[in-house]
Amino acid sequence: MKHRSPMRSLLLWSVVVVALAVTLFPFYWMLNTSLKPATEVFASPPTFVSTQWTLDAYSTILSQRPVGRYFLNSLIVSLGATLLSVLLAALAAYGFTRFFEGAATAFIVFLLFTKMLPETLLIIPYFRLMSELGLLNTHLALILAYSSFALPFSVWMLIGFFRSIPREIDEAATIDGATVWQSFFQVILPLARPGLVAVALFTFLIAWNSYVWALVLTTDSSMYVLSVGIANMVGEYRVQWNELMAAAVIAALPVMALYALLERHLVNAITAGAVKG
Amino acid sequence: MGSIAPSEASGSTVSGRRFRRRRLVGYAFVAPVFLFLCAIIVFPLGHAFWTSLQRVRGLRSTFVGAANYVHVLTDDTFWHSLWLSFAFTSVSVALHMLLGLALALLLDELKSARTALRIAFLSPWMVAPAVGATIWLWLLEPQFGVVNYLLRVAGIVDAPVAWLGEPALAFASIVVVDVWRGVPFVMLLMLAGLQTVPPEQYEAASMDGASAWQRFRFVTLPNLRYLLIVATTLDVINTVRHYDIIGVMTAGGPAEATEVLPVLLYNTAFRANRFGEAAAIGVLLLLIVLALSTFYIRVTRVGREEALR
Repeated sequence: MKHRSPMRSLLLWSVVVVALAVTLFPFYWMLNTSLKPATEVFASPPTFVSTQWTLDAYSTILSQRPVGRYFLNSLIVSLGATLLSVLLAALAAYGFTRFFEGAATAFIVFLLFTKMLPETLLIIPYFRLMSELGLLNTHLALILAYSSFALPFSVWMLIGFFRSIPREIDEAATIDGATVWQSFFQVILPLARPGLVAVALFTFLIAWNSYVWALVLTTDSSMYVLSVGIANMVGEYRVQWNELMAAAVIAALPVMALYALLERHLVNAITAGAVKG
Repeated sequence: MGSIAPSEASGSTVSGRRFRRRRLVGYAFVAPVFLFLCAIIVFPLGHAFWTSLQRVRGLRSTFVGAANYVHVLTDDTFWHSLWLSFAFTSVSVALHMLLGLALALLLDELKSARTALRIAFLSPWMVAPAVGATIWLWLLEPQFGVVNYLLRVAGIVDAPVAWLGEPALAFASIVVVDVWRGVPFVMLLMLAGLQTVPPEQYEAASMDGASAWQRFRFVTLPNLRYLLIVATTLDVINTVRHYDIIGVMTAGGPAEATEVLPVLLYNTAFRANRFGEAAAIGVLLLLIVLALSTFYIRVTRVGREEALR
């Protein structure tokens, strides 16, 4: 065991506290502002701990602004993208590990390239395609686009998972009279659950946090997702910052909650995803 | 391991039929993802190339060959944006790496609180960049923003500063926000990397009387070399094509001071409605990213690891 002098400990901790303060202050200020009454927002000097915290800003944005609608749009789009993406990735990963093992590497490298394409380039043709198909301002257009974001990572990760499941298990299921599809859905997928959870989580977060695609593909404000709706509120004539920050809290809360619950999964997923692909 | 044993493929006609059937099932598994990628990535990408060779006016497009490229490459705007992208990416990535590594080393020392601290430090990376940027818009607000208040109290400035109103300050501001958001990711990777350094190497170094700096220089750094290269490359790719933070905070202004390539691309396409030219800018940006990606794929172990299977 290493021993550390009290002085050194004190020094380390003071650096951590300063770094933590800088990192987290924006979140504190978001929360603090969102709980202030409208009159106090523009007080000078600003109040660091309000004496009259209230939920007024939240009730205003939920009753008078379509923030609830934005939330619903974000949820539909993110869940839809997660379902589609995980299904596609699981099918592909199983197909490659069980039927075309030799082609798996080439496919992964191809996926890596797609993952690195600049999204602002893809948006131009995608926008024109969707407008020709009449799919602007639909959830479907966003679900399709978002499904592709995490797909490379998901396929990669699940290929790893499926490789670790012995083939004897598939074969045993087949001998027992199951079809390939039955053994895939009823035997293999349940075994790969930890991988599926990580992949689903990752996809959901990327979709939920995405901005520029929704900015381009939705022009009708009733179809805005949270990130677009919030960024658009900034452009208003006189910004109600407490309301804006309340909306930001609502946008941040689900990802923070998911993150706190499933931190370990996610950290492993992110680290593996970045290092390996 | 090949997927199909050779003996299964040859042999009687019965197993030959079974073999074909099996392949067919295999195709059914991988076909959906192929169709999907063709529709969502490959076709749009091809379409983008095609668009870059055309002049688009509303619904009418005319083929103009390389005219868009000539126009973009002879226009100062493009070179200005390229330079901004270069400056923004290099400064941001350098700071991400430096601060991320420092933070990881710090957290590595504090074993007991590491998980809790990791959760806290990773939070800027978890919220949507567009939402994070909105929070910063309020922090940096000239009249009522808390940043100006704190700096005035500390005596660093004596009048409110319009952070996003002046070219140099706006550039610095987006770098600060991007650093706030980007450091946690590097920290996470480095923290994972530090766990892989064999403790014996530190012990041996200590026994040889190595100082803390020497241990870092001759044990930690060489062990992290691979991860540092990977993280830097990945971070460069992600930063050079990033749009959200700048799109929300300045949209490229003031006076094009923050109009990096992705922002120029967006503005050309969706503000100026010049799709052909925007696609040409996109293709040029793609070439940059492609060069970096090729490098990334070569350095990562993906190829080697997979080749061994």
